[in-house]
Amino acid sequence: MRTWLLVTLLVICGAVLAQPQSGGVLRVGMQTDPVGLDPHLTNATASRNMLENTYETLVAFNSAIEIVPGLAESWETSDDLLQWTFYLRDALWHDGTPVTASDVKFSIERIKDPDVASPRSSNFATVEQIDVIDDRTVVFTLSQPFTPLLSFFASSLNVIVPQHVVEEHGDLQNVVVGSGPFRFVEYLPQTRLVLERFDDYWGVDGDGNSLPYLDGITFTFYPDATARSTAIQTGNVDWIEYVASVDVSPLEADPNVVVVGGPTANYRAVQFNHERPPFDDYRVRQAFAYAIDKQMIVDLALFGVDGVVATGATVPPGNFYAVESPYNVRDVEKARELLAEAGFPDGFEFEFYVTSTYSFLRDPAEVVQSNLADIGVTANIKLEDWSIYLPNYLAGEFTVILTGSSGQADPDAFLHTPFYSTSSGNWISFADERVDELLDAGRLEPDPSVRREIYREAQERILHVSPMVFLFHSAQYSANRPNVQGYEFYPNGSYLGFRTTWLDN
Amino acid sequence: MIIFLSRRLLMTIPTLFGVALIVFLLMRAIPGDVVTQLIGVGEDVSPERMDELRRIFGLDLPVHVQFWQWLTAALQGDLGSSLRTGRSIATDLMLRFPATLQLSAMSLGIALMLALPIGIVAARYRGRWPDYLGSAFVLIGLSVPGFFLGILLILLFSLRLGWLPPAGFVPLFEDPLESTRRMLLPSLSLGLILAAATTRIMRSAMLEVMERDFVRTARAKGLAERVVTMRHALRNALIPVVTVVGLQFGSLLGGTVIIEQVFSIPGVGRFALEGINLRDYPVVQGAVLLISAAFVFVNLLVDVLYALIDPRVRYG
Repeated sequence: MRTWLLVTLLVICGAVLAQPQSGGVLRVGMQTDPVGLDPHLTNATASRNMLENTYETLVAFNSAIEIVPGLAESWETSDDLLQWTFYLRDALWHDGTPVTASDVKFSIERIKDPDVASPRSSNFATVEQIDVIDDRTVVFTLSQPFTPLLSFFASSLNVIVPQHVVEEHGDLQNVVVGSGPFRFVEYLPQTRLVLERFDDYWGVDGDGNSLPYLDGITFTFYPDATARSTAIQTGNVDWIEYVASVDVSPLEADPNVVVVGGPTANYRAVQFNHERPPFDDYRVRQAFAYAIDKQMIVDLALFGVDGVVATGATVPPGNFYAVESPYNVRDVEKARELLAEAGFPDGFEFEFYVTSTYSFLRDPAEVVQSNLADIGVTANIKLEDWSIYLPNYLAGEFTVILTGSSGQADPDAFLHTPFYSTSSGNWISFADERVDELLDAGRLEPDPSVRREIYREAQERILHVSPMVFLFHSAQYSANRPNVQGYEFYPNGSYLGFRTTWLDN
Repeated sequence: MIIFLSRRLLMTIPTLFGVALIVFLLMRAIPGDVVTQLIGVGEDVSPERMDELRRIFGLDLPVHVQFWQWLTAALQGDLGSSLRTGRSIATDLMLRFPATLQLSAMSLGIALMLALPIGIVAARYRGRWPDYLGSAFVLIGLSVPGFFLGILLILLFSLRLGWLPPAGFVPLFEDPLESTRRMLLPSLSLGLILAAATTRIMRSAMLEVMERDFVRTARAKGLAERVVTMRHALRNALIPVVTVVGLQFGSLLGGTVIIEQVFSIPGVGRFALEGINLRDYPVVQGAVLLISAAFVFVNLLVDVLYALIDPRVRYG
């Protein structure tokens, strides 16, 4: 946290002191390849992060995760919240043709199309009809008010794509024509992905200089964390993603490297399968919440840098919608009492399902195991590879599991997906009438301060019935050479910051 | 020889078919499919929609129908395209196989350059200090895991000395010099370990041959020890070495996933592993087909080499 503030200050100071320079190619060291190049057909973070500067969304997030204009210059909603009108700006596709309202209609309908294999077709389930008024105006008609809609439009895989290119090629897996600040040049799997500046991009900075500043970005791939750290230290690349937690301090100590990062939008929790006793009893779940020492997990398993303690529910501390959890002070006595009340004065044994693939989901399990031993509960850890563990989780084949999910922006995404009784993202079979009522109300309410009250009550109810023990929110770090300036850290893990990055040579 | 070769070539057909079938069934026996791996954790996708996605990917068909469809297409030379990236699998294999071949060949080169001299010298000076040095080399090489050696090499040659880039790949025909430079560390990581195993075989084969009558005869007729070793003993000792090296080369072609991962080399092994993790069935099938074909081919090559080294070996 301290480092993060310091780095933010440095970035701000740098931005004030130095005038951005145009030119130069940024060499970026990525962890993995994109999983497909068609943004509508994938949920992979790697695809998003390499493509989000080639395409654009209707509206976008800024680095404070507020909604700002994207391809739409402005928008308005009808009083009944059922009609959303977007006014597009003058923008060009990379092949020189103009971006039109029909492209917008086509793109959202493509994501919704049951015959297109998009994993996000449900994002726009409430969109009933899309009307093109003229080349620059498009109207979305909803079946019911749905206030999180803008956050789905801003999600940078739900981009606007050119209708004529999709119709010519069938899909966008082998061709990338966007309207973003960078144009796609080539992709050689596990070797490199090359972007170059799109000269006709509409964006300008505060002084009227055209964006982006960079002439291009070359992504290369370093799956191994040590190789990636070495590449930035030796200057083989200018910027790397995903600094491993063990490498944060050594890289901070290197005068040729600047580490940037902080907590990101996600949650990690011990999750109970509500269909399997004794975890259908909220007292047992509360006992776990009191027994687990979240600070110890962050200090020991995350080296103190890889995350922050979850002081609320799924919404991270600092967020406008965050609340305080009653479990923020460990209370072993209370946990024992609750267990005794539930009929387990001597504790019990259970199978604790953990993935071996990611250290941030594996190492906390040992702390949880030893914490639970203090209340007489024996957690038998079962370790499996992510590619086996994930399908088992999705199939409900677990009793208690340590896992989490990332990339949320709106409180609806943080709460509705995992906790609404009929949500398909509710993998733990949790159901609570009061929670459902509140989550419904949140979707209908446009006023942020009223929404905040609704979501506060929902989270307090969730914390009381304790369907998960919220442990921590992961942090994410990138590192760059000191001459890389103007890069902004996005807490949703997005790399839109490359749009304002420049090289001080 | 031609009859022998054509018979061996014919025998590869059931082998490849068997491998393809087993892999096909194994992939479907592990939990999850391309749909579960596509959706991930944080998405609200109804079970009906998941079934719909399975239908789009053709996973709703019975397994034997799916296998038959794959097989008939593969027999016509069509390996299909990836379920996740939409890229042609044949194209991707053509991109990756040269990288694997280059890495394997360079590793093998390094291994042989080290193993043959060390093995011969160790055998000639059996029980004396060169032999002990050789044994130490073998012991260390066999006990150090490849990825660990790889990371140590990166830390030494890239971070400390700054001589070589830590990882990254440049296609051979794009820039042969830079490509070779970048392949040095991974080849060294694999080559050193391979050299250790080969040294041991070379040494024991030499020792065994040196006991033989014809060596005693050669010595008795007054040939110099150097000539005895190099002309008479070495050639006979090479047969077991060729077998082992051939098998090792075959498995190198199958991918050296961990080294490819550490040094970011776009090899066939990583391609297959990615396919397995994403449950991208056609990718796995295509990659395994290529790997097993390469393995079978190398074995065939070894048999031919036998005949070249040892004219007594007759095939009928």
